[in-house]
Amino acid sequence: MTKYMLIMRATDEGQEAFESSGLSFDDLLTMMGRYNEELIQAGVLVAAEGLDDASQGVVVDYSTEEPTVTDGPYGETKELFNGYWILDVASIDEAVAWAKKAPMSGPGIKAEIRRIPSIDEFPADNEYVRRERAWRERTGQL
Amino acid sequence: MAKYMLIMRGTDEGRADYEEMDFSEVIAAMGRYNEQMMDAGVLSAGEGLADAAEGAVVDFSGETPVVSDGPYGETKELFNGFWILDVASQDEALEWAKRAPLSGPGTKLEVRRVHGPEDFPADDEWIVKEKQWRAELGTE
Repeated sequence: MTKYMLIMRATDEGQEAFESSGLSFDDLLTMMGRYNEELIQAGVLVAAEGLDDASQGVVVDYSTEEPTVTDGPYGETKELFNGYWILDVASIDEAVAWAKKAPMSGPGIKAEIRRIPSIDEFPADNEYVRRERAWRERTGQL
Repeated sequence: MAKYMLIMRGTDEGRADYEEMDFSEVIAAMGRYNEQMMDAGVLSAGEGLADAAEGAVVDFSGETPVVSDGPYGETKELFNGFWILDVASQDEALEWAKRAPLSGPGTKLEVRRVHGPEDFPADDEWIVKEKQWRAELGTE
């Protein structure tokens, strides 16, 4: 099995369409809840989180000698990051099939699917790779 | 305590710089940083992502979702990985962010608060279920 991350993406247009769609917060919780329940019952969900409004966030820029901190949101909101699911599935096709069932719709609303390399893909004799493996074992991630 | 997500962002330019670096140097720099956060007891989760070129994008603009090959949009806002920290304040999350072993043009970390139970109605059926799921998944 391989881990894939489904990344929720939105544009300003999509964000506005969503806000004016008349969907209540309760409707949203139910739609997301049903989808999450499907993922859980299929045994593929590893983790998921939603993020607070980007305007509450902060950006650290490493282009210069000393990192520079500015208020959010990050760059143009055409590529806003809103949250994610991590699935443990057999292939990218299976991850995409799950993504297509996500309760999302509207202009500019997208999910990006990316593979998460496993710790096994890193040199096992590297000191820091060994420590990361120990941390993952200790925290039940392996 | 609140959870904050540090989102790694990159550009094509930053990526070219990164690819010239020695891989074991990168692992050591990241390893030292991760170890500091583990020792401080603030690291909740962290993952790096495989190349965006092997990814896919599902677009929900139309009636039916449309799937296309990655990468997503312009690589000036590439998403490369994340850490989730459990800290007392946004300032503490920022202090950790500033210590990340990152550098180069266009290389950024976006710091965002992760929603917690306090953001949702505790008596909602799905929120009650979510609490159970998190206990099962170990992601409380």
